[in-house]
Amino acid sequence: MFARLTDWIWHIDGTVVVSRPMSSQQAFDRLDPLFRQPGTSFERARDTLTFSKKDPAAQDKMSIIDRGTLQFETAQGGGVLRYRMTSKALLACFLAPLMFLAFAQLTVAIGKWEKSSPSTEEKAKKKDDKKDFVPQQSWIDKTLGSPAPEKPKKDKKDEDEGRSPTSAYVFAGLFAALYVIGRILEARVIQSLFRKRLLGETTASPRAPTVMAF
Amino acid sequence: MDGVRVGKRIVGTQSPVTIGWENIPKVEGGPVKRAFFTWFQPVVLFSLLAFWYWAPNSIAKASTAVGIGIAFRLLLLSLEWVNPRHESWKLTWKEFVTDLFYVSLGYTFLGLIEGYIGSDAIIGAIQSHFDLSKLAWFTALPLLLQAFLIAFIFDFGQYWMHRGMHNWYPLWLPHSVHHYITQLNINKGAVGNPVELFLIGLGIGGFFDFLPRAAMMAGAIGMAIGSYQHINTRFNSPRWWRYLFNTTEHHSLHHSQDYESTRSNYSNTFIFIDRFFGTCLDGEAELLGMEGGRRMSIREQMTYPFTEGWKALRERFARPATAVPAE
Repeated sequence: MFARLTDWIWHIDGTVVVSRPMSSQQAFDRLDPLFRQPGTSFERARDTLTFSKKDPAAQDKMSIIDRGTLQFETAQGGGVLRYRMTSKALLACFLAPLMFLAFAQLTVAIGKWEKSSPSTEEKAKKKDDKKDFVPQQSWIDKTLGSPAPEKPKKDKKDEDEGRSPTSAYVFAGLFAALYVIGRILEARVIQSLFRKRLLGETTASPRAPTVMAF
Repeated sequence: MDGVRVGKRIVGTQSPVTIGWENIPKVEGGPVKRAFFTWFQPVVLFSLLAFWYWAPNSIAKASTAVGIGIAFRLLLLSLEWVNPRHESWKLTWKEFVTDLFYVSLGYTFLGLIEGYIGSDAIIGAIQSHFDLSKLAWFTALPLLLQAFLIAFIFDFGQYWMHRGMHNWYPLWLPHSVHHYITQLNINKGAVGNPVELFLIGLGIGGFFDFLPRAAMMAGAIGMAIGSYQHINTRFNSPRWWRYLFNTTEHHSLHHSQDYESTRSNYSNTFIFIDRFFGTCLDGEAELLGMEGGRRMSIREQMTYPFTEGWKALRERFARPATAVPAE
């Protein structure tokens, strides 16, 4: 029950309908280049293809997927490809905001601890000598109109009310947004990839070095 | 592969590389596009220098630098889409998320640690025992010279740290992870084991907090030159630029699958440091990475230096097998 509720987080399911006569062998032959990639192993048995990937190359068009099963059902005048695949990358992106929220809490806790630490006052006293320092300005800069330097202010850390968790919150939000984008985008990319392959619309190889001058 | 001789070295025997600027492709397209990708880099550099030189004190502060840095990254990301260098380096969702994970570590967790055991802590400790008036002469130098000296001293240190990483196994272990990237994109510079990110992040910027404007200008120099190390955009960098500064071309060779090519172009910003020490290689590569281009997962990137280090220690200190005499 729990698995059914959470599977959508890192599973990509879908179907591609082919409206032309095609056997399962023909369908998998067309999809074959997608699985002949470094780090990919697969098995074909009649109407089913199972595959798994380990450290797929960044250029692998299915690099987001770790494993999956494809089934091709032949029907009158065509067929249907059904697939179910898992993606650890989607799961990690889903969980990433939690990690950054934890970092934010850690930052707040350390900030409070630093403020209550007795050594802070001692440090502030030591830094006070900075205020006595008078920076000079080169005559060239003065002539060219660069603003005159100011006396150093109190140490920045002393001015701060504590460490800021803002960046951790920003990244938590960014990863949440990226998860939503990836969950929708990658499912569409995979479906489009399968459709184009089955309908024979593309033959592009994933990587072809273009520079080889010696 | 036969490779090509460059000085005493033969490069490109393990993976294709392009050597010599005359062999590197140019930006294709109309005159406006070509002009844009020829002058973009110098215009950005000089504009930033002018901004930091004349900006009022109320604007010339760290928060402005952070804002400019983020805006510049977004601009460079858009340029990757407009004029990619290689189709095979195209940024995918997975690559973008992975890169951003490392960037975010730098802004959060590593930033937190830096304050205690990194350069911030070390510099703070030194400064508390240091008389700033001894550095008054430095503040009397022209601003541009101050900025250049800060940037140069930092890059000189980075050069030797980086070269050390490629020549001493304990330092190579954390750095090796960064060499498993198989393409260059704008945030790829952040990809690596946290130990390496910590080592490479050891800077001297904190020393110059009494010279905020010069420090900002030095940061702008680093950003407006060093950012192009990892980017999938083709530029027609002017000849003087690529003679003085590190470029994507230089850094792609450093990341090549060809071992000999990786032992070059160590500097972050000023490639003339490499030229001076004989480690500069002018050219580019498309096939990048280690072990034939195997992509390393984040989990392995986190553990690799430790597991490999443990293996190396065990091998080194393993007891020799004692032979049992036959009866």
